[in-house]
Parts: sequence; C-alpha cells; structure tokens
Amino acid sequence: MKVQSAMFYFPEEVIEHIFSFLTHHPDRNTVSTVCKAWYKIERLSRREVFVGNCYAIRPDRAAARFPGLRSLTLKGKPHFADFDLVPPDWGGLAGPWIEAMARSCPNLEELRMKRMVVSDESLELLVHAFPNFKALVLVSCEGFSTDGLAAVARSCKSLRELDLQENEIEDRGPRWLNSFPDMCTSLVSLNFACLKGEVNLKSLERLVCRSPNLKCLRLNRAVPVETLAKIMNQCPNLEDLGTGSLLADQFSEAYVSLISALQKCKKLRCLSGFWDASPLCLLAVYPICANLTGLNLSYAPTVQGQDFINLIQHCVKLLRLWVLDSVGDKGLAVVASACKELQELRVFPSDLFAAGPATVTEEGLVAISTGCPKLNSLLYFCHSMTNSALITVSKNCPNFTRFRLCILEPRKPDPATNEPLDEGFGAVVKTCKNLRRFSISGLLTDQVFYYIGKYAKALEMLSIAFAGDTDQGMTYVLNGCKNLRKLEIRDCPFGDGALLADVTKYETMRSLWMSSCDISLRGCKALATKMPSLNVEIINEWEAEMEENLNNGVAEVISNNNNKHINNGNDERKVEKLYVYRTVGGPRTDAPDFVWTL
Amino acid sequence: MEEVEENQEMKKVQQNPSSSEEEEEEELELGLSLGAKKFTSCNATSSKPTCRILTAKDFHPAGVGGPTSSASSSSSSVGSGGGKRAKPGPASPDGAGGSSQPPSSQMVVGWPPVKQFRMNSLFNLSREHPDQNSTKNSNATPAPNGEKTKEKEHIKEEEKKLGSRTTPFVKVKMDGDPIGRKIDLCALASYNALASALELMFQNPGLVSSSITKLKLLEESSEYKLTYEDKEGDWMLVGDVPWRMFVDTVKRLRIMRHCDDHALKPKFCSSNLSNKLLR
Repeated sequence: MKVQSAMFYFPEEVIEHIFSFLTHHPDRNTVSTVCKAWYKIERLSRREVFVGNCYAIRPDRAAARFPGLRSLTLKGKPHFADFDLVPPDWGGLAGPWIEAMARSCPNLEELRMKRMVVSDESLELLVHAFPNFKALVLVSCEGFSTDGLAAVARSCKSLRELDLQENEIEDRGPRWLNSFPDMCTSLVSLNFACLKGEVNLKSLERLVCRSPNLKCLRLNRAVPVETLAKIMNQCPNLEDLGTGSLLADQFSEAYVSLISALQKCKKLRCLSGFWDASPLCLLAVYPICANLTGLNLSYAPTVQGQDFINLIQHCVKLLRLWVLDSVGDKGLAVVASACKELQELRVFPSDLFAAGPATVTEEGLVAISTGCPKLNSLLYFCHSMTNSALITVSKNCPNFTRFRLCILEPRKPDPATNEPLDEGFGAVVKTCKNLRRFSISGLLTDQVFYYIGKYAKALEMLSIAFAGDTDQGMTYVLNGCKNLRKLEIRDCPFGDGALLADVTKYETMRSLWMSSCDISLRGCKALATKMPSLNVEIINEWEAEMEENLNNGVAEVISNNNNKHINNGNDERKVEKLYVYRTVGGPRTDAPDFVWTL
Repeated sequence: MEEVEENQEMKKVQQNPSSSEEEEEEELELGLSLGAKKFTSCNATSSKPTCRILTAKDFHPAGVGGPTSSASSSSSSVGSGGGKRAKPGPASPDGAGGSSQPPSSQMVVGWPPVKQFRMNSLFNLSREHPDQNSTKNSNATPAPNGEKTKEKEHIKEEEKKLGSRTTPFVKVKMDGDPIGRKIDLCALASYNALASALELMFQNPGLVSSSITKLKLLEESSEYKLTYEDKEGDWMLVGDVPWRMFVDTVKRLRIMRHCDDHALKPKFCSSNLSNKLLR
C-alpha cells in the first residue's frame, strides 16, 4: 500500500529526466501509451519527431501534440516516385506542415524532408517563423527555386546546415549565395551540389572565409578548380568535400594550388563530385586517399579504366564507395583487393545498352564479396547474375542489412543454367539474418517469395518487379515477414486474392504500393471497406482524362473522392496503381483528380 | 551475358524509308541509354552497338531455353511471338489477353530503377561528352579553355533540341497495353520518326491478327490515333504543330484505339473523342 501511494506522487520532473534517455522513437511511442500522465510528460518533452509518411497524421495534430519540438523529419511521396511512377502533382506538400509547426512549435530548429514538394513561400515562412532555425536538409524534393534558398540564407541568423541532395531546383540566378549576411559565421555544412546553374564565386569564397566551423562543403559543377583551391586553403579542417568541376591544365596555377591545398586537409574523410575529372586532377587527390572513408564517383563517368584503378588502390580505409558500372569487373577486383574495410557499395548503370567489357557482371560482385567480408550494404546494377554467384556472395558476406540487386533486363534468368534466380536470392535471405532491405530482379517464381517469407524475419522493406507467378507469392511475404513495413510491387501477376489475403497486415505496415499488377477495382474497394484505418488510394494517370473527355461540355465537378468515376462502370477493371497506407488522418484533403480514395 | 550480346548483334541500325527526305543523315535512336550516344559514335565501335532501332526481338525475354532458343529467336522474325517465357504466369499483367512480351528494360517507365535526378544528370553529362566511354588517352592534358568553349557549344546545340523541357523522356501508353513506356524525344527529329519509333515499340508479334502490323499512327484511316497531353493539360491530336513546338510542349503521349473489338476493353468511341480533341 505504501509503495503504491509513493508511486502516485512520483514527481514529473524525475519521469521527464528518465525519458530524456530514451532517444529511440519506438521507445518513446511506447512509453506514451502507458498512461495519461506519461503521455503528457512524453509529449511535452519530445524534441524529435520522425514522420515516415506525411499523410499518416494531420500536421496540426502532430504539431499540437509536441509543442516542444526541435527537429522534424518528414517523408512524402512513395519511394517509386523516384522512378517516375507517381504523376506530378500527386502531393507530399510541405506547406501545411510548415504552417502547422509555425503555429504550434516555435522552437523548431531542424527540418529534414524527403520526396516532398516545397515552395519558395514555404521556405520564406520557415525562416521567419522559427527564430532558432539551424538546419535544413532536403532530399529528392522539388517545387522551389534559388529564390527560396536566398530567403533561407538571408534570414537565418544562426544557420548551421543547408544540405540539398538530388533536388530539382529551379535556377533563378547565382545571387542566392550573396544573401548570406556578413555576420553569418555559423555554417558547419553546406551542400549545393545538385544546383544546375552558376554560382557567384566571389561570394562563395567570402562565405567560406567567414565560416571557421565548416566541416562539410559540397559544391556544384559550376565551381572551377581555381575557386576550389582557394576554398580549400581557407578550410584545412574540412572533413567532407564535394568538388566542383575537376578540369585543370597541368601547368596552371590552379592545379598547383589545388595539390598543396589538398595536402593540408588532414581531416578529409569523404569525397564526392568529380565532375569532368581529368586524370591530372585525380593525381592531385592521391595523397589524401589513404584516409578516405567515403568516396562517391557516381556522377563521374570520366573516372574509369586505369584512372579509377590508380585512384582506388590507395583508398585502403574506405567504408563507402559509390561508382558507375563503367569501372568494370576489373575495377571492382581492385576495390576488392584494396578496400578491405568496405561496408557499403553502390554500382550505378552508366549505359543501359552496352553489355560490353566495361560494365559489371556477377564476377565483379563475387570478387567484392571475397575481398570485402564486412560488406553490409549493396546496390548493384548489372546485366546478368547467376545463382551460384549469389550463393557465393551470401556465404562470403553474411552481414548484409541492405541488399539491392537490379538486373537490367526484366525477367532475365541465370544465363548459365537458364533457371530462375530463386535459389540465389533465397541463399541471401537464408544467410543474412539481419537483412532489413531487399530488392530483387531477374527471372523469379513464387519460390523466391516462399524463401523470403520463411527466412527474412528482420525484413522491413521489400521491392519487387517483374517477378512471381501467382497470388501465393505475395501471400508468402505478407504471412511470413513479421517486421515488414514497406512493400512495393510493380508488374507482378498478383491479384485481388493476394491483396485481400491478410488485410490486417497492412495496419502493421507503413505502406503498400502495387502498380501494373492484376488487382481490380472490386478488390481495392473490398480492402477499403474492411479496413477503414487505411487510406486506399488509386492513381489513374491515364484513365482520368479519358473519363473527363467523355463528359461532353457538361461541367462535371471532379471531386477528390470521384464517386462518379469509382461507381460508374465496371468494378472488374484493372487498377493501374494502388497506394495503401495506415493513417489516423483520414482521407487526404489535397488529393488531385487522378487520385481516388476509396 | 552471351545472350544479350547475341541479341544485340541481330539488331541493325536501319534507315526509315518514310522519313528519308527529312533526315538522310540521321538514324533513329530509340536508345534510352544513359550514355545516349549519338549516331556518330555508333559507327566507331561496331562491337558495341549503342544506338539502334529496337525490333520485335527486343520484346522477347533473352536467354530462355538456353543457346538453342537464342538461335531460334535470332532466325525467327517478327511472327515468332508467343510464349517465350520460362513460366507463363496464369494471371499475367496483360489485361488484353496474353499479348505483349515484356519489353526490354529501356522502354519501360521507371525501369531500371534509377532516380530521375540521376538519370537526367548522367544523360546530360554524356550528351556533352559523346566520346566519353571510348578509351581515352589519359596522357593527353586537356586545354581547359578550348574544351570548355567547345563543350558549351555542344551543350547549346543539345539544349536547343531539348527546348524548355527538363527531360527528354516522355511517357507513352497504348490502350489495351498495361505497361507504360518511355521514349526519348531528342533522339527523334520529326513526326514520322516518332510514329515509326512508336510502331516498333508497340508492335505486337504475339497477336495473330495481321491488321495490327502497321499502326499507321499518322493516318486518318488508321485504327489508332496518336494523341498527346500538352503543358496546359489538354489532350491534342499529334501532328498539328511544328515539331519543335511539339517537343517543347508535350508532356506525355497516348495511343488510342477504336472500340470495335470488345476484347480490348474500350472506354470510349473514337468518333466522339476525335471531335473533342480537335478543338
């Protein structure tokens, strides 16, 4: 009894202090469900929120719940939007989120967004609403221009981080860099590598001069070697560098200057950029290779053949390597012999057609697995793969957490045996107990899904294309993968039977994507009816216009719910694209015409 | 590996007879390679055919049944069609009833799964350096100023082709075919070239009916109508505006079919549609 009453008066401050040790989001989510008191303490003390699907919750609700929020991470469009499978104007708008935060969370310091649409106006609002704003990270976003960047530069009093990764940014001129005020000296990380246009080089140099804390700087292609050399002389403490254009004349002052500048940067660990890299400029890089842990050559088609080999053989401490397949199996063999600590490898396709000697095959992958047993993350594009190679690779590297293999030609079998690649991929899931992310390709039957369902217990994200025979394939995955969060499928023969096999499963997942499969409107409607906690959205890029055109002259209001279209006609018609996700926010209010919420 | 190379040998670069007056020099390029090599570099390396017209053989999955099947696919022509798949799925994604073979990777929207940003960047990079992938003499020291001006000229030429487009790729869909494709507009120079390219892309050797051998996309009498969506979101019939203007304004393409054949799941009648389209 006495113990119980003591517990009643447990001071909130103490609980809050205990919670401050909980940084893992799932843990915080769990403690908030214990009781009302804990819910309240947790929500007021929460500093970081991660929203994996921006439509899973209404922005107002999230902002109101966590008024003390300092850092917000948001993801918008489904992953397959990266590959042009989601029509433009689908959604993923950042505006409502920024507005909601502006109303309720004045202490916001960091905003990270991926695959969202951000307008210049939203960026303006962002920097004016949050006096302590420090860090903006945008990955694969769109909808803004360099004017928006100027607003951010101009108004942030203590901007620490401006990180732009692979965004589509409208270029409105180089003036945005001038907008950083003279008293802005707080920059730690600046990445504008994805900007296509010119930058004001003098402003850049001055900015770097007054940023003593600069650790990460990634330039765009418009920055020449002369400027790079000057910049590097100013910041010998740089740890992460993305070069601009690496084209220089051997006897130029710029080149000589670059060499000496690079040698002073003892802390440099990560290199990227390498646009137009001439072999000469690569020579300048050799002295720092020995300490590199990260190297990204995936935008540098000029670095191949012997140039690549000469460079990579010095990189003995490399942990992460991104290259183009033009380095060839030969290049990968050198990587295998030099980079013994390698953990992550990504090999991107440089040319979809030529299956000549300059691209990679299963041999390259096997060599890597033999030489780099610590490999745990792989993205590999190749023209062919064999079962025996995959079996060997998984034996050599049992630590894969991310394994993505893309054989460029859909449904291609093992060329040595003409069999499907079920056994190869099966070996990967059997051996790699910690596999969290898996992408498969080539000729695959239901058997591979049997293996995945049976062995891939830690799997969280699965991407499938042009694979499987029957509904059973998808069912194996839904039944077996207990930790599955994201399932994305395209061009597979899975139908309503598979979709409806285990409808409650989708509540345990973040989202399901199915495009060009065999599901019908009837099946999707059934799913929507059974599971009201899910948003079942149909994207009909091609059908919507045709229906519209049929309504001759009569101004039919095409509402978001599009009841007219959904209930008008044949339920047996196949659904082009289906996106299902759990949500507490109800149906989207911003869905465009071609998105039908059932 | 072997099968892929063999198939490539079978594909020859052809001149399209109907467009000969407009583009004697130019060869059709359906190649959506990220390298996007122009025809000039194609001549240099015969062992690595980098630009070519894809023929119906492209739509056969390579290497099924081993060397014998690739030999047979090389000798058989358009009519071979049929079930070359190792395991024809009972529930195939083709709604139109066991028709088209999976198209080769380059033609399908969203395949290979490379981020659009990356695809566009590498595409632009390679267009500036047409001889990028050929063996370079690494001893040559480039004169940066000279090269830069040449590059800039080349870029300007290419940009002219691109107009105000952000990407040269345009999605194409044909009624009855569930698989969306994409086509490289910069590789084409005229409507005839576009029509021929699309014909080859969608030509279906599997269908028995011979009436679909030639789509005759630009002809009034054809069963098919080629339409496009412009910047304003309107659907128009292809062919009315000058080519350059078309390239600038087209967002995506659609090949519509007449609704005579119920098996093809018609959604409308073409006569109504053409009335609406021709505003």
